[in-house]
Amino acid sequence: MLRFLIKRLLLTIPTFVALMFVTFIMLRLVPGDPIEVRRGERGIDPVRLAQLRHEMGLDQPVWKQFLDYASGILHGDFGTSIVSKTPITHEFLTLFPATLELSLCAGLLAILLGVPAGAFAAVNRGKFFDQTLMATALTGYSMPIFWWGLVLILFFSNTLHLTPVSGRVDLVKFYYPQHTGLLLFDSLIWGPKGAFFDVVRHLILPTIVLATLPLAVVARMTRSSMLEVLEEDYVRTAKAKGLSPFRIIGLHALRNAFIPVITAIALQIGSLLAGAVQTETIFSWPGVGHWLISSISRRDYPALQGGIMLIAVVVISVNLLLELTLGIINPRLRHDN
Amino acid sequence: MTIETVARDVVQRAPPTPVAAFWRAFSENRGAVVGLIVVCLIVLSGVFAPLLTSYNPLEQYRDAVKLPPVWAEGGSWSHVLGTDPLGRDMWARLIFGSRLSIFIGLSVMLVSTVIGVALGLIAARVGGLLDTIILRLMDLIMSIPDLVFAIMIIAVIGPNLVNTIVAITFVFLPRYVLLVRSAARVELTKDYVTAAKVSGLRPLRLMLTTVLPNCVAPLMVQAALGVSDAILEAAGLGFLGLGAQPPAPEWGSMLADARDLITSAPWVMAMPGLAILITVLAINLMGDGLRDALDPRLRRS
Repeated sequence: MLRFLIKRLLLTIPTFVALMFVTFIMLRLVPGDPIEVRRGERGIDPVRLAQLRHEMGLDQPVWKQFLDYASGILHGDFGTSIVSKTPITHEFLTLFPATLELSLCAGLLAILLGVPAGAFAAVNRGKFFDQTLMATALTGYSMPIFWWGLVLILFFSNTLHLTPVSGRVDLVKFYYPQHTGLLLFDSLIWGPKGAFFDVVRHLILPTIVLATLPLAVVARMTRSSMLEVLEEDYVRTAKAKGLSPFRIIGLHALRNAFIPVITAIALQIGSLLAGAVQTETIFSWPGVGHWLISSISRRDYPALQGGIMLIAVVVISVNLLLELTLGIINPRLRHDN
Repeated sequence: MTIETVARDVVQRAPPTPVAAFWRAFSENRGAVVGLIVVCLIVLSGVFAPLLTSYNPLEQYRDAVKLPPVWAEGGSWSHVLGTDPLGRDMWARLIFGSRLSIFIGLSVMLVSTVIGVALGLIAARVGGLLDTIILRLMDLIMSIPDLVFAIMIIAVIGPNLVNTIVAITFVFLPRYVLLVRSAARVELTKDYVTAAKVSGLRPLRLMLTTVLPNCVAPLMVQAALGVSDAILEAAGLGFLGLGAQPPAPEWGSMLADARDLITSAPWVMAMPGLAILITVLAINLMGDGLRDALDPRLRRS
C-alpha cells in the first residue's frame, strides 16, 4: 500500500511541473506588452516602466522568471490580481466555498439519485422504467446545461415564482456571519430564522443544473455495471439461497457494481468544476467559475493564470485521494500497470 | 435437386457483406436509426439552408422586431419561428447556425482523430521514454477541466470560430490518444502482428495497415461521441462569449444574446438551445447504435 501511495504521489510531480510551465508561458503568450497586460495600464513613462519591470522581475532571464514563479507557487503565492490588487490565493479561497458547496450538493444529488435509479433500471431491464430512464439519461447527457438553466429559471422563477433567479442568499433580509463560507452550514448555526430555508431555495436550481450531466453518467454507469454483476455466479447463489431480492441487490450486487461507478464519479470531478463555470455564470453564483470568466473580460490575466493553476491543484488532489481510496477498497487496482 | 438449385442455395446463404452485417446490427437499435435520420435532416438543412429560407440570417428586419413564432399570439407566417430583438429571422439563423455547429463538430473530430491516432500509435509502438512523455502530457491536459482549459487557450489566442476548433481539439486529444494507445497495445501482443513483423513489414506499414484497422471500431464510436461533445463544448464557449463572435448565428452565442430576454421573448432563448439539444441527442443516439453494431464487446445491454 505504501509503495502504491508513494508511486502515485511521485507521478503527480511531473504533471504539476508541466502545469506550472504551461500557465507560465500562457501569460507570456498573451498578446501585448507584459507590463500593460499585467498592470492593465497603457502609456507608462519609461522611468516608471523600468522600475515596474524590475519590480515584476521582467528584467531577469526567462529561466530565472520561471524559477521565481515556481518557487512562489510552492510557497503558496499564486500571483496578484490586477484589478483588486489582492493575492489570488486569497480571492480564490474566499470564492471557493461557494463553488464547493454547489459542487458537493450536485455531486450528492447525482449519486443519491443516479445509483438507485441505475440499479433499479438494471433489475427491470428492458421494461418501461428502464427504457424511460435510459432515454432520460441520454437526454441529460446531451443537455446544453447553460440553456437548461435558463429554461428552469423561466419556468420556476419567472413563471411560478418559486425560486430566486440568482445569488446564494438574500443578504438584504438575512445578514449573518459567514464563518466557513458554506452557507448551508453557516445559516443553520449563526443565521436568523428563515435564513437556512432561503439558502436552500437559492441552491435548488443551480444544483439541478450542475447535477444533470453527472447524474446521467452515474445512472448509465450503474446500470451497465449492475447488469454485468447480476450475471455473476454469486448472485445466482444468493438467489438460490432464498435471500430476499432487496438483500441480493442492495447487499451483494450493488456493492460489487459500485467500483466502476466510483471511478466514473471520480472522473466527473473535473466536469463538475467545468460545469460550475457555466452554472455560476447563469445564476450569478459568486464562485470560482464566475470569477474566472469575469477575469477574462476584465483582462485580469494573472487572476486567470493563478485561478487555473489552483483549479488544477484541486482536481489533481481530489483525483489522487479518490484513487487512493479505490486502491484501499480494491487491492487489485494497486497492482495495475 | 439439380445442380442449379444447389448453387442458388449456396449463393443465397453466402455470409452478408460487412456493410450489410453492420447495417443489420445498427438498424436493430431503433433509437440509432431515428438519430441517424435526424442527423441527416440537420446536415441537409445546413447544406441547403439558402433554399429553405429567403431571409439572410444576418439581415435586420427593423419593422418586425421580436416577432413571436407563428403559433403564438401575434405571430405571422412571414417569420415562421419569429424574430430576435434585432429583427433577424430565427429560422434562417437556426439553419445557417447548423452549418457552424456541424462544421465545428466535424473539424474537431477529424483533426483530433488524426493527431490522436498518430500519437497513440507512436506511444504504443515506440514505448519507453516517448510513451511516458506522451502519457504525462495527456495527464496534464486532463488535470484541468475541459472547459477551463479551453477557456485558457481562448484567452491567449483570442475568441473566434477557428480558435474554438483549435481549443476544443486540444482538450479532446487525450481521449483519442489514450484509446488508440491502449487498443494498439493489445493488438501488438497478438500473433498476427508477430507474423507480420517476421514477414518483414516496416514499422510504419505494420502500424497503419495491420494494427490500425483493428483499432477502428472503438475509435469510430469515440469519434461519433466526439462530434456531439465538441458541438456542446463549442456552444458552451459561445454562450460564455468566447466562441464564434456575433453576429455569426452560432447557437451558443445566440443563447448568450437571449439571456436577458427570457421573459420578454422566450422563443429567442428556447430555440437555439432546443437545436443544440436535438442535434447532440441525435448524434449520441447514433453513437450508441454504432457501438452496438461495431463492437459487441462494448454492448451496453
